[in-house]
Amino acid sequence: MYKIAIIITLMFSQILSAQSTYETGMNKAFELWKSGQPAEASNLFERIATVESDNWLPSYYAAQVLILDSFTKLKDKHALEAQLKKAQTFLDDAVSRSKDNPENMVLQAMLHTAYVASDGANYGMSLSPKINALYAKAAQLAPNNPRVILCKAEWDMGSAKYFGQDTKPFCEQIEKSLQLFANFKPETTFDPNWGKERAEQLTAQCKA
Amino acid sequence: MKSLLSCLLLLLTLTLQAQTTISGTVIDQNKQPVLGANVYLKGTYDGASTLDNGRFSFTSTATGTQTLIISFLSYETKTLVNNINQFKDLKITLREDVNTLDAVVISAGTFAAGDNSKVSVLKPLDVVTTASALGDFVGALQTLPGTTTVAEDGRLFVRGGEAEETQIFIDGIRVFTPYSPTTNNVPTRGRYSPFLFDGITFSTGGYSAEYGQALSSVLELNTIHQPDQEKTDIGIMSVGANLGNTQIWGKNSLSVNASYINLAPYLELFKDRNDWKKPFETLSGEAVFRHKTNNGLLKLYSAFDTTDFSLVQDDINYSNGIPFGLNNNNLYFNGSYKEALNNNWTISGGISYTFANAKTEVFESKIKSTQNSVHAKVKLKYRFNNRFKLNFGVEQFTTQFTENYNDETITNVNYGYNNNLSAAFTEADVFFSKKIALKAGFRAEYSALFDAVNVSPRLSLAYKTGSKSQLSLAYGRFFQQPNSDILKFNQDLQAQQAQHYILNYQYNADGKIFRAETYYKQYSDLVKYDSDFTSFDTDFNNSGDGFAKGIDLFFRDNKSIKNIDYWVSYSLLDTQRDYKNYANAAQPNFANAHNLSVVGKYWIDNLKSQVGLSYNFASGRSYTDPNQEGFLNQKTKSYNSLSLNWAYLLSPQKILYFSVNNALGFNNINGYQYANTPDLNGQFNSRALRPAADQFFFVGFFWTISEKGTDNQLDNL
Repeated sequence: MYKIAIIITLMFSQILSAQSTYETGMNKAFELWKSGQPAEASNLFERIATVESDNWLPSYYAAQVLILDSFTKLKDKHALEAQLKKAQTFLDDAVSRSKDNPENMVLQAMLHTAYVASDGANYGMSLSPKINALYAKAAQLAPNNPRVILCKAEWDMGSAKYFGQDTKPFCEQIEKSLQLFANFKPETTFDPNWGKERAEQLTAQCKA
Repeated sequence: MKSLLSCLLLLLTLTLQAQTTISGTVIDQNKQPVLGANVYLKGTYDGASTLDNGRFSFTSTATGTQTLIISFLSYETKTLVNNINQFKDLKITLREDVNTLDAVVISAGTFAAGDNSKVSVLKPLDVVTTASALGDFVGALQTLPGTTTVAEDGRLFVRGGEAEETQIFIDGIRVFTPYSPTTNNVPTRGRYSPFLFDGITFSTGGYSAEYGQALSSVLELNTIHQPDQEKTDIGIMSVGANLGNTQIWGKNSLSVNASYINLAPYLELFKDRNDWKKPFETLSGEAVFRHKTNNGLLKLYSAFDTTDFSLVQDDINYSNGIPFGLNNNNLYFNGSYKEALNNNWTISGGISYTFANAKTEVFESKIKSTQNSVHAKVKLKYRFNNRFKLNFGVEQFTTQFTENYNDETITNVNYGYNNNLSAAFTEADVFFSKKIALKAGFRAEYSALFDAVNVSPRLSLAYKTGSKSQLSLAYGRFFQQPNSDILKFNQDLQAQQAQHYILNYQYNADGKIFRAETYYKQYSDLVKYDSDFTSFDTDFNNSGDGFAKGIDLFFRDNKSIKNIDYWVSYSLLDTQRDYKNYANAAQPNFANAHNLSVVGKYWIDNLKSQVGLSYNFASGRSYTDPNQEGFLNQKTKSYNSLSLNWAYLLSPQKILYFSVNNALGFNNINGYQYANTPDLNGQFNSRALRPAADQFFFVGFFWTISEKGTDNQLDNL
């Protein structure tokens, strides 16, 4: 009886320690990211992804770190391409682990947006329809996901501004996303939970 | 018992705690330290990023044989398998990933257009926004160097070659009848609508061993893999209408497109030089079905069109002109499949079927021709690694051609031929480094018709001379069978051949491309014959030959001037050939010495408009004046044309489009026709061959209805 208890305890502690390794790892990666070390953060997310082979989140973040960082180097064509190619492999990984996931679709749309932002003449025509299609699909799957509403509205607002059309409906969408952000509960601690600040910024711009 | 357990526990903890330090340096091939590479043990959280001196160090509690992975942007990922104790003071050299933007590309002879190519000379959109192209992909390619302006013909004439020396492929599968039928003074167009394709590779020489039966050039068109969204396209034009629809469900998608062109209303307003009895009318339909499998993609493409017209053509020998009528039906089916079998093997294959029948009436002669052609191909690709890939495959071409002739005196004469050709090819793609790449292969063809085997080697080499420039070389031997006008009367011949030698320089900076290419092409075994027109009693042989040499220049810039994108192409060509019924070697009438194209596009932001112009200059072409000594002894005056277009985006979905060809109304002359017999003074009278119309106007309204409402038909213009 005593032995069994010990074995059980040992097993549990192993499981517990495995969980905590994941949490420690993820937390450490987020710290690196916050402290301005995106490359190291992405590297750590990549390492976690190789261990947690069923979990889409580490790959998702490995990609997201690189995608967001790429917006800071839109002028350096080769560096941008190298970084976005790497991000794409992580994102493909995340998609294969979690199919039809609207969060992955939003991230893919952002990756395409980085290309368009760097060279609109070259990529605009081919990638814009893809971005539209991704947001349309994501909105269909998760009509109340605040990030889907926000990113879609921000993207649509860009083309509406260009054609001198009314941006009011998109401002309304962004306000709607703010309400959804207020009530959003991520499934786990590490599930995507970003975007609120951006929504607030854009709302302020809408009102200005 | 208790103490034993404690001991065990302690031991367990100890083993858990036992740590190994893993350390080393990561450098690149130039011995420079790599900063920020990810070094880790597979399946563990243990790892580190390299520092600016390339060093890394981390500890792990793992034991035994482990896999160490070193990965970094734009380098190939490296894997080391060894006992963990051996991972100390490692010296790791990463190899550059050759699959990057700044790596060398094989560019001799090749113009790539599309989003996937590294160095894209044209974008898919250019096909529809080039003023002179009128939405025809062939028209857009005619603004590239290496092509000759043969204004009345409209097909691609490449580097002193005849139009039939260029073969067109859709998804790697041959198109046997790529051009729409037309009269002899109106240029033809490509049959297929440009918006179905997202990649175009135009090779003006030295192409891959995968392609055969083309002496001069190969044009590869790739259909869109997967449409982005469901939509309906409506187009209303001054010459007709078109309607398209795309549906997507699950892993399938279907795009259909129908168009109807009728020139009668246009010709009422703007009379041309032809005496039309029944103006040009064509109805065409296309459909593409795509199905995604787990690792593969199936595409089924089919197109049908029917064309009908009749007119009286001016002729120097017939004062009342020559009555000419044509009814043409063309069906094309193309099915292709590609699948990645695993990390290393990719299989692709396809089959195409062409059915073409034409009823031609000239005076009282009625000619009915029927062509059935099949092309089937299977190709395997083995990827040893990023740097070494091997392609090999087999293919079969079958053509059955029959013609039936009737006139007042001759009834129901039938003739034709069956042509079977089998081919096998293999080719290796090797990257020695990011700077040097090689493509080498050969192709063997067996012709059942001639009972002969031909082997053609192909070779291209590219070397990066600087961060933005590169040199490429290409050599190849090419075979092509004589065309149906010859084969239908005589099959006791052999394949014609050409050899290409090409040297190419390319400079590619941000938004600017400069290319210079020089080439020498040698023709041999060209078919010669002894009559004015080929017929049953013509004597044929393979004793003809010829050459073409020249320089092609191309410059494109979309960065230097804001909102302006332009390109300039110039070709210098020196060619002569002795073939067909030529009296001696001469510059053929479809070739000329100088061709210049300037294409410009200006985006006016506050008008939401793109205005474009294209100017085309071609020096004179040769013709024979029987009043003078010699063969092909004269040259026409040079050809000039300036075309303008304006695309106005009413909203993201609605586009209004205007264009005018030859806006300045240059009087172009394509050649001269001389009377068969001299007049009373012993002079042969002549007639200038003029285009049917000097100018062409086009107005269209294009509307795309999609759920998203942001797609538009700029692609479709």
